[in-house]
Amino acid sequence: MFKAVGKKAFMKLMDSLSKGYEIAAPRKFSNKGVFYSAITDAGDIYLGAEFTVEPVKKLFLMPSEWLFENRFNDGKISLQGGVPPQEARKRIIIGVRPCEARGLELLDKVFCSDFKDSSYSKNRERSIIVGLACSKPDKTCFCTSLGSSPAETRGMDAIIFAGEESDEMMLEIITDKAREIFAPLEDAACEEHRKKLESEKKKIKDPVRKINIPDALSASFESGYWKEVSSPCVSCGVCTYLCPTCHCFDLVDEERKRLRCYDGCCFKDFTQQASGENPRPTKRERYRQRVFHKFDYFRKNFGEHLCVGCGRCIRHCPMKIDISEIAANAPKNK
Amino acid sequence: MENIYLPKIAKIADIRQETPDVKTFVLRFEDEAAGRSFDYKPGQFVEFSVFNEGEAPFCISNSPTRKSGIECTVKNTGKVTRAVHELDIGDAVGIRGPYGNGFPLEELKHKSLLFVAGGIGLAPLRSMINYCLDNRNDFGKITIVNGARTSKDLVYKEEYKIWEKAKDTKLYLTVDCEENNWTCMVGVVPKVLEQLKPTCEGAVAIVCGPPVMIKYTIPVLLKIGFCPEAIITTLEMKMKCGLGKCGRCNIQHLYICKDGPVFTYSQLEGLQYEL
Repeated sequence: MFKAVGKKAFMKLMDSLSKGYEIAAPRKFSNKGVFYSAITDAGDIYLGAEFTVEPVKKLFLMPSEWLFENRFNDGKISLQGGVPPQEARKRIIIGVRPCEARGLELLDKVFCSDFKDSSYSKNRERSIIVGLACSKPDKTCFCTSLGSSPAETRGMDAIIFAGEESDEMMLEIITDKAREIFAPLEDAACEEHRKKLESEKKKIKDPVRKINIPDALSASFESGYWKEVSSPCVSCGVCTYLCPTCHCFDLVDEERKRLRCYDGCCFKDFTQQASGENPRPTKRERYRQRVFHKFDYFRKNFGEHLCVGCGRCIRHCPMKIDISEIAANAPKNK
Repeated sequence: MENIYLPKIAKIADIRQETPDVKTFVLRFEDEAAGRSFDYKPGQFVEFSVFNEGEAPFCISNSPTRKSGIECTVKNTGKVTRAVHELDIGDAVGIRGPYGNGFPLEELKHKSLLFVAGGIGLAPLRSMINYCLDNRNDFGKITIVNGARTSKDLVYKEEYKIWEKAKDTKLYLTVDCEENNWTCMVGVVPKVLEQLKPTCEGAVAIVCGPPVMIKYTIPVLLKIGFCPEAIITTLEMKMKCGLGKCGRCNIQHLYICKDGPVFTYSQLEGLQYEL
């Protein structure tokens, strides 16, 4: 189902929906960039071409989230679960890019499969994903190399096509959840709108980069290639924190609370054992783990690569390391 | 929906000093129903919480056939294990689990078993050894080769006499270097194994110890004639969640916490094993 809507009318609807739903959307902060934020005034919603610095992942897996705390009462210890998050209101997330929505589907494979993670699952269940087609893919984007595209709707309840210069946007409604929230908008599934949507879709250009990502990397495991490509890495971890699919975490006690915090395979401590053993002692093993997890192991376990081609790790890497090129150029034999 | 990271409260019922830096803790769930429903296989592990300090995985070192509680044998090495060692009888801790695959009990039935342990690596094997002794007719000959750096580092000493006396069971003890008043074998585990040449016919070898011991023991077992399918090892790596999510304990695409910690050597040999 398609709907055409003026930007002003859309924002007005968001304001009225904010009474019943939590609303989160990209918001532009001067000198900082675009970040997903809780929206109280729909005028703050940013639907331009610029990408959010952090992926939508952080609304589902928080950088640091408390899992439970212990309490002492009358000499007895008891545990209070930190999950579910607050009163878990229904939530609308606006402006999720196709790559990020796919990222959530990949995270589902880890957090909604055996040993279902209740906090993540509840955040998924309570969220309606209103995507945003990418009007101007970045030069670092390579989503089409991983089975997605700037107008892909997988993992979304609805998608917005919004040209920056146009005051009107097109909505493609995919699920019943989205049909319900957008019901107040005038139905406009007429031929004229269909044509308009098609023309909006045509304006969208695929990313320039098309990378030939291999299905598996096993043959290169022992290659000197990994030492060479990991040598510029400064182990800062920005690639893992900003990745829509990286999900490795640490469990940490802070006073009475047990927290789940983002962690990353680039850190030496990640696999450092108390005994002194470390199976990944140098950047070579650690960087190789990152690339293999994304482009080899995950596919063996779940049938797909753990990368959506959003380009964040390339855009934000202080050393401009490009994982897509590194995976594509990995030696095909030993 | 259940919070998978939430442990259950257990109390320390007993503590045994095994070596100067190793203690065995006997744990009982505060909630008796939780204790009754806690079912596990030898080779599985639990996540052990010392509240306000952290959590670490330990294998369950007693046999499910002897359910007086959950036993964990812990070496004082890092932050969490130091906190564990400071615990007293009656203290409350958190336990989640059991996790991991455990030993393939059905496949091991009617086989002769060679247990090869180094140091605290005897912990998961002790669970299996006692399981076998409690189901003695289900298994063939049992041979135990147990080594430690020094005689002071041998764990579960009070059980050796019972094992030696058990039907069709042999125990060989070894220490790395000569010691006064030491009457058993001398030499590192792989060397001793080479001398003993235990029979591989209808037998499965179960190996656990420090990575370096495993590394040098496997070639010896292959030389003696054990095939890769008949060599079982239980591995250890830094772990956090125990649930296959936190992403650190993998060897290639296999997660030690979920796909292991028990693997056959045939599973590992093709994997460009990182350890």
